[in-house]
Amino acid sequence: METTITKDNNTTIFALSGRLDSNSAPHFEQQLRDFLTTPCTHLVFDFNNLDYISSAGLRVVLNTAKAYKAGKYLFHACAMQEHVQEVFEISGFDSFITIHRSIDESLSALPPVNGK
Amino acid sequence: MKISFRINNDLAELNTLLDQLQTLEDKWSLSRKNIAEINLVLDELVTNTIGHGDCDKKQPIDITLTKKDLKLTIQIIDSGQPFDPTVCQLPDTTLPLEKRKCGGLGILLVRQFCDSWKYTRSNNKNILTLKKNLPKECK
Repeated sequence: METTITKDNNTTIFALSGRLDSNSAPHFEQQLRDFLTTPCTHLVFDFNNLDYISSAGLRVVLNTAKAYKAGKYLFHACAMQEHVQEVFEISGFDSFITIHRSIDESLSALPPVNGK
Repeated sequence: MKISFRINNDLAELNTLLDQLQTLEDKWSLSRKNIAEINLVLDELVTNTIGHGDCDKKQPIDITLTKKDLKLTIQIIDSGQPFDPTVCQLPDTTLPLEKRKCGGLGILLVRQFCDSWKYTRSNNKNILTLKKNLPKECK
């Protein structure tokens, strides 16, 4: 899996491409480590080019959602392909993760952060 | 129609799995969605076997897929520690985020994308047989 990390104002975007499985999940988790320890921007996973996710990938997404639950910064997901979205829904993740249709929708939905 | 292949007890073999399944797209008229579902089922079970098995030994995993009309049968055989995924407790997907745990999601996905499954232990091998009904376009 390839990850492209970009920043847009107060939001960090992880654009994922390829396959998020038990092979790629450990590296992805490592890339996220600093964001999960001390969130300091909003975070969006852009799934537009992600073809496949397994439970190993869901585990990383769950840990990310937990890390962002309490703070003032938000975690959103967007642009999922049909199969990936189905896996999210079966797992019940759509009940606690906001999923937008596109990265633009995510960016306009994320609020400005007070004091920034 | 039937294919069999053997993979090593190694996560890098998930790519072999995908290569094998992609050859079926044309051969068995499977859609990309069918392939993705079958891939997920095998990925979760193979990843589990590699995680539960004896990692020091290069224990091979034998996979057979059989398609008869619109019934797909998947058989996975390994000689690792006894492990019956059919009796694993499934996670409660209605719990709020703070109570959700990671465990069991893989098995939940397998259960969702297959129509039946059966585990037996025989000759020191785990034998898991899954059945999946295919949509009528796959005829």
